[in-house]
Amino acid sequence: MLLQMAWRNLMRNRRRTLLTLSAMSLGVCAIVFGHSFNEATWSKVIRQVTESQVGHLQVHGAGWQAEPELGNVVADPAQVEARVASALPGARLAQRVLGYGLAGTEKQSAAVVVMGLQPEREPSGEGPLSVVRGRALSSERSGEVVLGRSLADQLELEPGGELVMLGQAVDGSMANDRYTVAGVADAGSDELDATAVFLNLADAQAFFGLGGVHQLLVRLPTEDQDVSAHLEALRGALDLAELEGLSWDQMLPELKSVVDQKRGGIKGLAAVVFLIVALGVLNAMTMSTFERTREFGVMASLGTRRGTIRRLVVTEALLLGVVGLAVGVALAAAGIGAVGSIDMSGLTSSGDMVGVRIPSVFELRLYPSSVGQAALTVLLTVLAGGLWPAWRASRLKPVEATRSV
Amino acid sequence: MRGAIASITAALALAAGPALAAEKAPGDIPPCPSSEETPDVAALIRRTEKLLEGSSSIGTFSMTIKTKDWTRSLKLKAWAKGRDYTLIRVLEGGPRETGMMTLKREKQLWNYLPQAGRVMKLPSGMLGDSWMGSDFTNDDLVRGSSLVEDYEAKVLGVEKAGEREVWRIGLTPKPDSPVVWGKVEMLVDRQSCLPVKQVFFDEEGKEARRLEYGDFRQVGWRQFPARMTFIPSDENRQTSILYDQIEFDLDISDDTFGLHRLRQGR
Repeated sequence: MLLQMAWRNLMRNRRRTLLTLSAMSLGVCAIVFGHSFNEATWSKVIRQVTESQVGHLQVHGAGWQAEPELGNVVADPAQVEARVASALPGARLAQRVLGYGLAGTEKQSAAVVVMGLQPEREPSGEGPLSVVRGRALSSERSGEVVLGRSLADQLELEPGGELVMLGQAVDGSMANDRYTVAGVADAGSDELDATAVFLNLADAQAFFGLGGVHQLLVRLPTEDQDVSAHLEALRGALDLAELEGLSWDQMLPELKSVVDQKRGGIKGLAAVVFLIVALGVLNAMTMSTFERTREFGVMASLGTRRGTIRRLVVTEALLLGVVGLAVGVALAAAGIGAVGSIDMSGLTSSGDMVGVRIPSVFELRLYPSSVGQAALTVLLTVLAGGLWPAWRASRLKPVEATRSV
Repeated sequence: MRGAIASITAALALAAGPALAAEKAPGDIPPCPSSEETPDVAALIRRTEKLLEGSSSIGTFSMTIKTKDWTRSLKLKAWAKGRDYTLIRVLEGGPRETGMMTLKREKQLWNYLPQAGRVMKLPSGMLGDSWMGSDFTNDDLVRGSSLVEDYEAKVLGVEKAGEREVWRIGLTPKPDSPVVWGKVEMLVDRQSCLPVKQVFFDEEGKEARRLEYGDFRQVGWRQFPARMTFIPSDENRQTSILYDQIEFDLDISDDTFGLHRLRQGR
C-alpha cells in the first residue's frame, strides 16, 4: 500500500523524478566505475607482487627483514618447509638467496642485487623467469645468470656473453666467479631491471659460501588480499626465536599505504557524488512535499498518523534510491562490459610505484565491493535528502495545511 | 731569530734520530717546523704526505679485519708509483682470493679475480667503497685523493695526544675535488711531522671513521708508521694493516702497472 502510494506520488511529476533519478544513476555509475577501475588496478598490482615478487608470506631468519645480513639465514629450509606445508595446505613454496655485489666485464661493471632462486618452483613467465631474450634459468646448478634488461644494456651484455661477479662471502672473504648470460629478463620493476642478477639457488649459495637460504616464499591458494589468518597459521608453525614470518603488506608497507590511500580516494569521490545528489534529492523531495501541503493536511484531517505520512515520504525517497542504484549499476556494468580491459600504456608512461611496476593493461570487473560502496552512498544520500522533508510533512497542522493552496 | 733556527735544527735532529747522520732527506722535502705554533700548513702537509708515500714504494703488509662475526687476515704486496699507478696483490688469503689484484691507473680501477680468471673494471665513483670487504676504501688503498691537492688545510691549534705534542689540522675539501668526506681532521706530531691520527667526517659533519697510526719505524732517512688502523664510528669492527717491509723511492717500470699483466694474473 505504502509502496504503491509512494510510486504513484513519484510518478505525479515525472520530469522531476526522472531528473533526480538520472542524477543519482550517473552518480552511482561514477562510483561503481571508479571503484572497479581502482580495484582492477590494485588487485593486479597486488597479484603481481604476491605471485612474482615477494609471495603472500615469507619466512626469514629472525630480524632479517629489518637488517638483511648475509649470514642471517634459514639454516634448514627443508625442515621449515615441511612445517609450513602442514600448516598451510596447498601453499606453493620457494627458496631464495639475496645478496649484493659488483658484476660486469673488463670494460664496465655495476653494483647489483644477486638473487638465487629455484626456477622450477617460481611461477613460469613472471619476474625473473619473464625472459625477453635468450633462455630462462635452468633448475640445475649451471653457472648461468639471467640479467635485468636495463642492467644488460648498461653492461652491454647479451645472451651467450660472459659476466664476472665480485662480492663478499659470508666468511668475509672475497667471492668471485664468472658466469654465462643465459637470458635477459623483464624483472618486474624498473629497479630490479637495472640491478638484478638472477641465478640458480645453488650457484648463489656457492658464490656467497652460504648453507641456508634468506627467504622462504609462501604463495597461497587465495585471491584474498588480506592474509592475516594465514600469517597467524604460519607464525604458529615457526620457532619464532630463530625465524620470522611476514606478510606481503608487512614487507612492502609503502605499497600497502599507497593502495589504502587510493582506496580512500574513491571514498572521496563517493562523498562528492553524495553531496551533489543528496542536494538534488533534498530539493526534489522538498518541492514535492511543499506542493502537497494541502494533501497532507487532508490526510491528517482524515486521521492518518504522523508516522504514516513520514514513512510515505521516506519510502518515496528510498524508492528513488533503489531505482537510481539499479539503473546506475546496470549502466556501470554495461560500461565495464563494453570497455573490457583498459590499456593505459598510451596514456601514462609505465613506471614504478614504490618498487612495483604499475600494469598498463588491466581487466575491468564489476566487483561486489563496488556495488556495496555505491549502495551505501545511495542509502546515505536518500536519507539525508528525504528525512527532513518527511519530518516537515508530518508536522503540518491539519487546519492550516488544508487552507493552503 | 738565530735562537729559532737553532731550535729547529735541534728538533730536526731529534726527530730523525741517528739515521740523520747516515741518510739525509732529499732537498725537495720541507723540514719539519717543530717549533712553530702555526706553521706553513701547506709545507707541513706536503712533508707529511712525502713521508708516507715517497715517489714510489714497494711493500708487503698484512691486513686484519675484525668484525663481530669473523676475523680474517690477508697478506698483501703493493707497488706504487706516484699518485697515478698502484698495484696490490693478495699473496695469501682465502682460497678464492689468493692472487686477487687491484690495479689503479690514473683515475681507473680494475680487479683481477682469480676464481673467475678475469679482469673486472670497477665503476667510477667506487673510490669511497670498501676495498676487499675491509674498512679501507679504494681511495685509501690507491691514494685517489691527495691531502695537498684536494684539501684546504688550516692549523686549528696545538694540543697533547698522549705523550706527544701535536698540531690539530683541519682539512676541508676543495670544490670539485674527488673526495668523499665532508671534512678531515689530522693530528700531526710536532717532532716528526708524522700523522698520529686522522678523523673523517661525513657531509653532515658527523664523525664517520678514524685512522690511527702507530708502530713508527725507521725506513732509510724517514720514519714510517708501520701500523695503520681504520675504525668506523658506528660499527663494531676495524681493519688494521701492518707493514712487514717497505722500500721507498725505487725505480719501478711502468710495465708493472700494465693491464695486460693484470689479465694474465701475474
